[in-house]
Amino acid sequence: MTAAVAPADTIAAGASAAGRRALRLARARGIVIAALGVAAFGFANATMQEQATFSFWIDQQGGQALTIPITVGALWIVTGVLTGIFGLYQLWRGASVRWRLWLALVLPLWIAATIGTLLSGKPATLTNLFAGSLEYAFPISMGAFAAMICERSGMFDIAVEGKLLLGACVASIAASVTGIVIVGPIVAAIVGMGVGLLMAWLAIRYRVDQIISGTVVNFGALGLTNFIYLRILQLNTDLNTPPTVEAIQIPVLSHVPVIGPILFAETPYVYIAIVTMFVLTYMLFRTRWGLRLRAAGEFPQAAGTVGIDVIKIRYRAMIIAGALAGFAGSYLSLSSAGSFQMNMSAGKGFIGLAAMIFGGWNPIGAFGAALVFGFSDATQALLSILGVDVPPQLLTSVPYLVTIVVVAGVVGRVRGPAMAGQPYEQA
Amino acid sequence: MRLELRDITKQFPGVLANDRISIQADRGKVLGLLGENGAGKTTLMNILSGLYRPDSGEILIDGQPRTFDDPAAAIRAGIGMVHQHFMLVPVFDVVDSVALGAEPVTGFAGTFDRASARARVLELSRQYGLDVDPDARIEDLPVGVRQRVEILKALYRRSDILVLDEPSAVLTPSETEELFGIIRGLAEGGTTVIFITHKLNEVLEVADTITVLRRGRVAGTVLPHETSREELANLMVGRDVELTVHRGPAHPKEVVLELDDVYVRDDRLEMAVRGVTLDVRAGEIVAVAGVQGNGQTELVEAIVGLRHPDSGAMRIAGQSIERASPRHISDLGVAHIPEDRMRDGLIRQMTVAENYVLDSYHRKPYSDRGQLDRSAIARAAAAGVRDFDIRTPSIGTFVGHLSGGNQQKVIVAREFSRPVRLVVAAQPTRGLDVGSIEYIHRRIIEQRDAGAAILIISTELDEVLALGDRVAVMYAGRVVGILPSERATKEAVGMLMGGVQ
Amino acid sequence: MNALRTRLRPIVIPTLAIVAAFVVGSIFLVLTDIDHMKSLASDPVGAIAGSLGAVGHAYMALIIGAFGDPAKFAIALNGGTDKQWATAIRPLTETLIAATPLIFTGLAVAVSFRSGVFNIGMDGQFILGALFATIAAIALKGAPMPIILLVALVAGMLAGGVWGFIPGFLKARTGAHEVITTIMLNYVASQVVLFSLRLEFLRQSNSTQPISKVIKDFVQVPMMLPLPGLRLHWGFVVALLAAVVVSWLLFRTTRGFELRSAGLNLTAARYAGMSAGGSIILAMVVSGFLAGLGGAFQVLGTVGQMSNDVNAGFGWNAIALGLLGGLRPAGVVAAALLFGALRNGGGLMQVETSIPLDLLVFLQALVIMFVAAPGLVRTIYRLRQPAPEGGAPVEEGAAA
Repeated sequence: MTAAVAPADTIAAGASAAGRRALRLARARGIVIAALGVAAFGFANATMQEQATFSFWIDQQGGQALTIPITVGALWIVTGVLTGIFGLYQLWRGASVRWRLWLALVLPLWIAATIGTLLSGKPATLTNLFAGSLEYAFPISMGAFAAMICERSGMFDIAVEGKLLLGACVASIAASVTGIVIVGPIVAAIVGMGVGLLMAWLAIRYRVDQIISGTVVNFGALGLTNFIYLRILQLNTDLNTPPTVEAIQIPVLSHVPVIGPILFAETPYVYIAIVTMFVLTYMLFRTRWGLRLRAAGEFPQAAGTVGIDVIKIRYRAMIIAGALAGFAGSYLSLSSAGSFQMNMSAGKGFIGLAAMIFGGWNPIGAFGAALVFGFSDATQALLSILGVDVPPQLLTSVPYLVTIVVVAGVVGRVRGPAMAGQPYEQA
Repeated sequence: MRLELRDITKQFPGVLANDRISIQADRGKVLGLLGENGAGKTTLMNILSGLYRPDSGEILIDGQPRTFDDPAAAIRAGIGMVHQHFMLVPVFDVVDSVALGAEPVTGFAGTFDRASARARVLELSRQYGLDVDPDARIEDLPVGVRQRVEILKALYRRSDILVLDEPSAVLTPSETEELFGIIRGLAEGGTTVIFITHKLNEVLEVADTITVLRRGRVAGTVLPHETSREELANLMVGRDVELTVHRGPAHPKEVVLELDDVYVRDDRLEMAVRGVTLDVRAGEIVAVAGVQGNGQTELVEAIVGLRHPDSGAMRIAGQSIERASPRHISDLGVAHIPEDRMRDGLIRQMTVAENYVLDSYHRKPYSDRGQLDRSAIARAAAAGVRDFDIRTPSIGTFVGHLSGGNQQKVIVAREFSRPVRLVVAAQPTRGLDVGSIEYIHRRIIEQRDAGAAILIISTELDEVLALGDRVAVMYAGRVVGILPSERATKEAVGMLMGGVQ
Repeated sequence: MNALRTRLRPIVIPTLAIVAAFVVGSIFLVLTDIDHMKSLASDPVGAIAGSLGAVGHAYMALIIGAFGDPAKFAIALNGGTDKQWATAIRPLTETLIAATPLIFTGLAVAVSFRSGVFNIGMDGQFILGALFATIAAIALKGAPMPIILLVALVAGMLAGGVWGFIPGFLKARTGAHEVITTIMLNYVASQVVLFSLRLEFLRQSNSTQPISKVIKDFVQVPMMLPLPGLRLHWGFVVALLAAVVVSWLLFRTTRGFELRSAGLNLTAARYAGMSAGGSIILAMVVSGFLAGLGGAFQVLGTVGQMSNDVNAGFGWNAIALGLLGGLRPAGVVAAALLFGALRNGGGLMQVETSIPLDLLVFLQALVIMFVAAPGLVRTIYRLRQPAPEGGAPVEEGAAA
């Protein structure tokens, strides 16, 4: 007779079946990480003689610099030791390890060591690298916040990309026409709200699949902005020469040695992203609005039966998300680029989705993920300036590959809102 | 508060769900609302909670007529609901779950005043003896505790009228005892409690008055000390429609389906089937009676290979099938009429012909080396349509366009088109008109007489009694009795269905 | 009468959707007609009439660009030379060339959406198909042309298939949402292409652009017409054959039956003994094959050289035309021909009226919106709700 296992007549048995699976995954993770630790020692061996010279501007660009010379091999050894500990700890403790935290600790070491190795002796100034990461992270993080609000409310939002692009286009026009820079972001946010409203309306009123309505917006925004660029902006350049958003030196703080030039001499967008991160965290997890929003995304019936209007919550979420994404789009044309260019969002909206997932549908996590992605952009820029020959495509692909790995639950299962993308019937 | 419903009527397309139902529940008393599946309990409850509006009739609270446009209005009127399927967000903690929709806020940006909500949850749980950790996550809690959270939700909203829908369906006996203690405590504190159930013992134990519903109407209102289980069972199952199907004596032969101490879990990983042992022989019909949700669904899914049992042995014609795939089991000659025909049995946007071969498309003559033989399929489907008197414009019509009875006939025709050794039919006539019911019953009996073993699962007592050569009753995941057809009376089966041994 | 109505039903919504899209398009054209709009205040009637006239001119150019100039046909018919014939039918052949990759990617959409899998990774599958076809061709340079051609086509198809397999496998095994994974893989694919085009082996040595060596000189899909200056190649016929094969696969084989069942009602498919995971993977792989083959034909037949923009939005277009064609192979071909005509005619429109081609991308987005929301179209045209099976089969695919 087969399957003569004694029945375990408890819920705990079921839970532990899931637990066993998590444990298996955690073990596999531990082994891989520990192996990476060993690999780091291998790299150390090869780079013992290599010197890396990292420096930071102390007060301002081109001023005095703080220089840190370091042996790349030593850096690899530290990396290897910590990674090894992480791996072993993971093996020992199983699924209960807070791997995100550990990753945040180990990852920078890997990056520093890798950059050190790639530089092969060339000195590098890292102030711009870090400041640039923050700036590159802005549209990604705002896109992630927008998508997060939608998904937390139970709607899919793959249209961040389209909203960024539209936002960039209208912001440039509005700011150019009025000559007032602030008008750009405001108009961009309003247009984004309109798009959000349209998507919500299609999904809720006409029950269009949210993947399809997202595709409509992405595709339509690309066509429309290219059309506007070619038909109007190219010929009337006065409509596409907006006043630009300049970096703001925060008094006192921007003079803090080393840190100041990195953190406190940024474009205002960066400050807004950081503020948004904190505000959104508070709103999501500490307010009535957040509680209801999350309930609508996790189990709308539970919200509906206590008299909460789920449909209204979802409409509002889509509109707010539209405003954030449209606003983020204004950065693209009003900041470094100084004008609108065709398809200038270049996939940042999709990376935003990736950051949202990687950050576990949590604003702080998403911002961290956006920083990692922004850092990879900035590193690429640095390496190409220094003439280090590493194919940038490899670095650029990292965020995408990481996202696939995370979605597939290989690194550690992240769980999104249970009912995202499911239509809800309100009685 | 005193709740009274007067002449509530609610019609759905084709069904009169509530037909002039009047009930009343007094302050501090427990009203037991007893009824089978389809008696109209759920509709009545949805009306009470503001999800549906009645076509006619009145809801009175303390003598004042009230109308509820949405759930929020019902909650404001003091009605608290405990749904059978808990309405709790799995990833929330207890405080968040309880306060959701009635959150205390501080002045700043609508900040959720969790501390005061938590204090109130603690206070309520102390006051009513509901032992709950306010900071635990819902998904980590056992069902009994989740139910207490649901009750807390109602108390938190200061509900004076508490409606519990089949509250013991998911509870263990000791959890049920605790629940009764809580209910009595609430009633003593002045809460009006409406307790909806199909379990005779439970209403007798906890209710002050009992109203029995049957087929959308009030079948009677009795007091527990003046009634008996027999009378309640009678009221609940009624004597109205006697289904008349001519069924000759069975001639049981060899055992075809053998279940030996089978345990099966449901989707939430809880044990739904708890040690079922049952044989079905060739040439006999075993009808399994039982109220929905007593493990029948999971048992059927295990037999046809959609769910693997946790333990126990299952054999069809001597072959072990504990780990067999649905296709393998179907190849053994098992016909399966699934419980929910539109969800499980048919594909709405496919034609009658395509649905006719849904589980045999890969066999000859319908396919040849991976290619479908459409004319063979059309011929077979046309024959099936003729033999089973399926009313359809053509075999190319989408099956979603047919009436319920004809849809079911498509399934039956499909399943009986192959050589059949075992028929597993779940709710084979649910929602059908009398003509279709009789027709399908006749076909099933024909299969028996042709030598197939038949297992029928039904919540309709009439059907069970009309068809079963032996009647097994499932209750709380177990087979609590197997009666030969001559001893299977309504009263006897009804009592077993209500959990009375 | 009723039979006719039933036959016409799949065409009604798409036709109305296209009309609605063009009307919205005209409004945008009028609004963005800066020159006329400037005189709106002084001469409103003249401004509106003038800009509407421009719109009419533009749409006319679109049609002539797509289907040819009647005057030139007249010349050709009056005993024209080969060259005159070629001039006359050139727009038509260009439309067919433009439609070829769209047919392939549209079929990829039809297969996956019908199976309940949202493959939106056609872009990546297409461009990798093109890349690997190029790699195979360059690697085999010197071999007999038919062999190079055949191997290159197979290489492209397999590359697309692999790129489809990955998200299919991940969805079947881990439940990873295919929309996210395919979007990410699209980007990875374009990075792979950029990376590969830097390699000495592929790189066009005298160019800084990411383009490959020209392969046209030694491998080229044969031309269909013996007239000078026409580029129409047999890839178009293969695309039509692919539509027949997909139609056969979906509607005539047991595998196709399983795919469609899984797409329409996964639970019922499981109850009927079908394997859900198998269907997902198969649908993604076939989808990838088709997109990859489309990419291979694009480099081997039409452009003759790999570049990083060889996919030119074919993947995204595909979703629009897949839905427009009701996810039916014949419908996809019809929609692809229409979109091909728009793309090609848009060229002439751009030249003659300097209205950018991108207008058409926007119009396509509007078409998807209208087709995906049949209720919206019915509201606009005040149509009655049809019998229970509802609107276009879009809903079927989407519901799954």
